[in-house]
Order: sequence, then C-alpha cells, then structure tokens
Amino acid sequence: MNRFFGMLLVIAATLAGLVLLSAGFYLAAGWLGWGFNALAGWISGSPGVSRPAVYYGASVANVLTLLLVVLMISASLLTVAERKWSALIQNRIGANRIKVFGSALGGIPFLAADALKMLTKERIETTGRTRVLYELAPMLAFAPVFALFAIIPVGQGIELNQIPGLAGAAAAGAVEQIALQVSRTDTGLLYLFAIASLQVYGTALAGWASNNKLALLGGVRASSQMISYEVSLGLSLVGTMIAYRTLRLEEMVVAQGNPVLGPVPALGLLLQPIGFLIFFASAFAETKRAPFDLPEGESEIVGYFVEYSGMKFGLLFLAEFAEIVVLAGVITAVFLGGWHPILFEGWLRQNLTPFWFAAVGAGAFIAKMIVMMWLQLTIRWLLPRFRFDQIQKLCWKLLLPAALVNVFVTGAALLLDPSGQLLAWIGVLTIVVIAVLTAAVGRAPAPAAGHGAAHAAAGH
Amino acid sequence: MPYQLENRPPDLRESMYFPEIIRGIGTITKHFLKNLFFSRDANPDILARKRGGFGHSDNVTLQYPEERAPYAPAYRGLHRLVPREDGKPRCVACYMCATICPAQCIYIEAAEYPDDPVEKYPAKFVIDELRCIVCGFCVEACPKDAIRMDSGEHTPPSYERSAQIWDEKRLLRGPPVSYQYDPWLRRGSPSIPPDKLEEMRARAKPFPTVATDEASQTPGFSVRALAAEARDRAQAARK
Repeated sequence: MNRFFGMLLVIAATLAGLVLLSAGFYLAAGWLGWGFNALAGWISGSPGVSRPAVYYGASVANVLTLLLVVLMISASLLTVAERKWSALIQNRIGANRIKVFGSALGGIPFLAADALKMLTKERIETTGRTRVLYELAPMLAFAPVFALFAIIPVGQGIELNQIPGLAGAAAAGAVEQIALQVSRTDTGLLYLFAIASLQVYGTALAGWASNNKLALLGGVRASSQMISYEVSLGLSLVGTMIAYRTLRLEEMVVAQGNPVLGPVPALGLLLQPIGFLIFFASAFAETKRAPFDLPEGESEIVGYFVEYSGMKFGLLFLAEFAEIVVLAGVITAVFLGGWHPILFEGWLRQNLTPFWFAAVGAGAFIAKMIVMMWLQLTIRWLLPRFRFDQIQKLCWKLLLPAALVNVFVTGAALLLDPSGQLLAWIGVLTIVVIAVLTAAVGRAPAPAAGHGAAHAAAGH
Repeated sequence: MPYQLENRPPDLRESMYFPEIIRGIGTITKHFLKNLFFSRDANPDILARKRGGFGHSDNVTLQYPEERAPYAPAYRGLHRLVPREDGKPRCVACYMCATICPAQCIYIEAAEYPDDPVEKYPAKFVIDELRCIVCGFCVEACPKDAIRMDSGEHTPPSYERSAQIWDEKRLLRGPPVSYQYDPWLRRGSPSIPPDKLEEMRARAKPFPTVATDEASQTPGFSVRALAAEARDRAQAARK
C-alpha cells in the first residue's frame, strides 16, 4: 500500500513539476525575447518594440528549452524507461544494480553509465568504408528528428505583457505572441512530411557506407520500409487537414478546443479515429521499432548500424528514441487536443491568469506526450516482428486503401455538413464499432485440456 | 500436457487486426499498472511470497546474490568428505569413487594409520571440480558414506584454475557422521580416545544398507510401502 500511495504522489508531483517547468519555459521565452528586443534597440540606436527581435529571442529560448530540454532529456530518459517499463510489463524488476546511496533511483543512473560506456568505447571502423558518408550518416539520421520538433506547438501563445515581470514591456498585439513553439510556419504539416522523408538518408547511407553486406541489407530494408510508409503517413493526415482546414499545427490545436457535439471538443481522435490508427501505425513503422524493426534484426545480424561503435552508434540509437518523442508530440498536437487540458478547461481558464493557464496547458501537452511515448514502448512487447512481405502488405493493401477511404469520407462529410457535426458522429460511430469489435470475443472456448485430449492427439 | 489446437484461418474480426491489438494493449496495461502500483513481497522465505492478487505485484524476480531460492534436498552440490566425530575422514581409501568417476576427476593416495594396522585413510584426496560433471556416482559408489554432495553450495568461483582443485583439507568439512557397524566403532581404534569412542558409539545411526531403506528416503516416501500396496492390490485382483 505504501508503494501505491507513493506512486500516486510521484505522478502528482510529476504533473506539478511539468506545469512548473512549462512556466519556466514561458518565462525564458518571454525574457529572452525582451532581451533580444533591448539588444536590437541598443544596436540600432532606436529604442522601441521590434517584432522580429522578440520573435527571434523567443525562438532561441524555445530551441534551448524545447529541443535541448524536452526532446533530448525525454529521449535519453526513454532509454532507461524502455528497460524499466518493459520490466514492469514482463513482471520483472529491470535495471537496478547501479545504486546511488543505496537507492536505484528508478534506474536513472544507468543513463550516466551508458553515456560513459558509449563515449569511452573503442572505435572500430571497417576498411573500405566510404569515409565521408560513414561519418555523415549518424548526423543525417539525427538532425531531421531534431528539426521535426521545431513545429510542435507545446504551449499556446500568450501576450508578452502577460508574462510575470514584463507587464509594462509592450502593449498587447504590438509584438508576436510568446508560444512554446520554435517555429510557426505556414507549411506546418508539409514541413513535417518533408523533414520526415529526409530521415531515410541517414539510415540508407549508414548501411551503404559501412562496406558490409549485412549493413547494406539493413539499410535497404530501412529505405524500402520508410519510403512505403511515408505514403500512408501523408494520406492519414490529409483527413485532419480537411477537417481543421489548416496546415498549421498550432491552429489545429486551437480548433480542437471548439465544442462540436454539445460540450465535447472536436478532438482529432473524435473526428479522425481511422486517421489516428493509420497515422500511428505508419509513424511507428517510420521509427523502425518493433514490430517494424526489420532494419535492425538482432537475430539476423542485419542492421544498418552494425559497423558503428561508440558514440556514433549512440547517435543512431538516440535518434530512434528522439523519433519516439517527436511522434508522441505530433500525435498529441494533431489527435489528442494539444495543450488543451480537456478536463476542467473552462474552470481553469476562468480562475487562472493567462500565464498560468498556458503553463498548465503546456504541462498537459507534455503529460499527453508521456502517455503516447509509453504506448509506443508498450507496443514493442505486444506484437512479434513482421515478416518483410507482411510489412509491405500491411502498408499497401491495408493502410493505404483505408487512408484513401478516410480522406474521401472526411471530405464528403464536411461537404454535406461544414460544421463538422456529421464528421463527429461518423467518428463516434467508428469508435463504438471498434470498441464493440474489441470487446466481442469470437474465439470458441478452448477444449478441456484433460488427459483424454492427449490420447486423442496421439491417436489412441 | 498436449491438447489439440484448432488450426483455423483467422475470422473476419481477427483479420481486421486492430481489435486484437487493442485487447493486447489492455492485457499489457493491466500488468504494467499492477506492477507499477504494487510492490514485490519481500518475504525472506522465498517460497512463501505472495504474488498477484490485490496488493501484490506479479513480479517473479529474485535479486540473486541477496535472495536465493532454496534447493531441493536432493540437490547435488559441492562435494565434501564426511568427517568422523574425532575429525578424521570416514574415507578408507578404497578407490571405488575414483574408479566409477566417468570424468576421472578424483585422485586418491592411500596410507595407513601408524597405530592401527587394519585401517587405511586417504593421504591425498583431490577432486578437480572443473572436470567434475556432478553426476553423483562417487556418492552412490561409496561403501562408507564418506563422500557426499549435500553441502547445498555451488563450487565458489576463482580467478585461477588451480583454485578449483580441492584437496582433502578443503573437502573435509560439515557435520560428522557415525554408523553402528563402523569397524572403528565396533573394535575400537588406538587413534580414538576411549571416552570419545563411547560418545561416538552412542551417536551412531543404523547404516542404510540398500537404497530402499527408510533411512535413506525422503520422509513420507517409501518404496517398500508402495511395493507392498501394489502386491496387496494384485492379490485382491486375483481373488
């Protein structure tokens, strides 16, 4: 029982910590934006409010906080979480032998041990490798993932003068809103598709440049798998683009707060349940994790990074976990309502200052991201690996037609009813059908496993 | 236990794939939450630990060096040379164990007690634990119950192979044993002081002459009793 209450306490403390962390991020963005403004004023000699300076300052702060803190720390914590969470799933304890003052600290010290191991490992490289591409591949695998997180709208925009300490800084509307989002581009999801398709270069080049047949096999598998799944990945999000009539992720999040069926908000999960499933499956294949982990078959020694050692391997390894974080962020923004806290949203909005409401929203976003990361690590222990033809079949014969049908149904529903209510009802119907199918058990009860059955099986 | 599995193609619901995946996520989540919110039973008596049910996690892990599962009583552990009450080995250097050993890992050099012209003892008794295949033949072959594998321990690890060669000084340990018909008890031995001899005679047990003897069996299990039951059944069936 102690552990039960302790865990509840830990979860509550985590949520509170996320809210405080988000508040800190907002403060950093606001103050750095204002600092850039002051710097620009000092350089140009004309004190005043400069929109680009505030925007750049806030973006630099967001690069530091969101990319380096949220993305990198969650990606490296996920390496530990993978061990501990899979242990919990499999009734084990998991990594706990490194102890700090007698406490295993949930396995987190293993992070330091892993980093130390990766950094001090002997560097072994194949002869005949293509030197430039070999060195370039880990960076090419890691950089797009990093860049992808730039468009994730972690927190909503608030006015600069709503941030504590900056009340007299600038009138509302005089400068860009301060949001926890590195870049607010018009292209939005198109940028996502473009950068996501760059990931394949890192893996394909790593396999090709290693001068190793098994690595090449892994690279070829990775490229064919990722290129296939990009099709259904793109098509699955077309439905949400139609439903919210925008490509910008932050506008999608705002649109998800509008009530559509009575008080129920127009979440992406409600309007596009099929799109969600297809996107999740396709993006999962893009991350190259089990059950789609053919590019790195341990049992076949195939893997695009078999010839990498030390921190170069570490970078390829970390890129995979960073992809998980980015995927969790995209799903949260597009399908789970982004920074909308969903529960008690009206009450929170009325009783908190805009700054603290935004902080709670960003905390809710990160909490939803954690749930989605957990779901991705869970799937790994749920399904056995696909065979390669099964992977291609799933993509081209199941996900792609379903995505196409989803696009047409969404378009037709919005043509008939532009308010989106019809689409929401279709979504509710889909969710109910899936729930009924899931709850219904079609399998006949197993025959009594008695002694007689053994004789029958043996034929006497 | 084998039972017949129905090898049929998946039905429509199963071939839709996602419902079954969602069910699987449900199962996994159940395990995850249970193990997250409830702790392992840390009862030092490992076999009595509670698992599953409300309030206990499903965890099966033993933290090995700190927590060890008890071995079965019949576990064949590290050899020991059984001592007598006066500290000398029961072994009479008959070479039975060295002869039967399939791995040929036992080396014996016999010697005689200077004050007792009848009795022999092993001047050297060496077992190479690296060659030993832990078959237990030496224990079965021994006519004097002088070598046993009842220590319940593994061979301890070492950095050198030479440390795995156990001689009589390391092997001679554990509780002493005496049997009523031990020759040195019946006729006395110059090497044993008379008062010690009386004590040893008083403690001596009857020797298990055959493997079916009650003394050498697990309590509650008796080959003779089972055989008698079978004989009675057969007789009842004949009538």
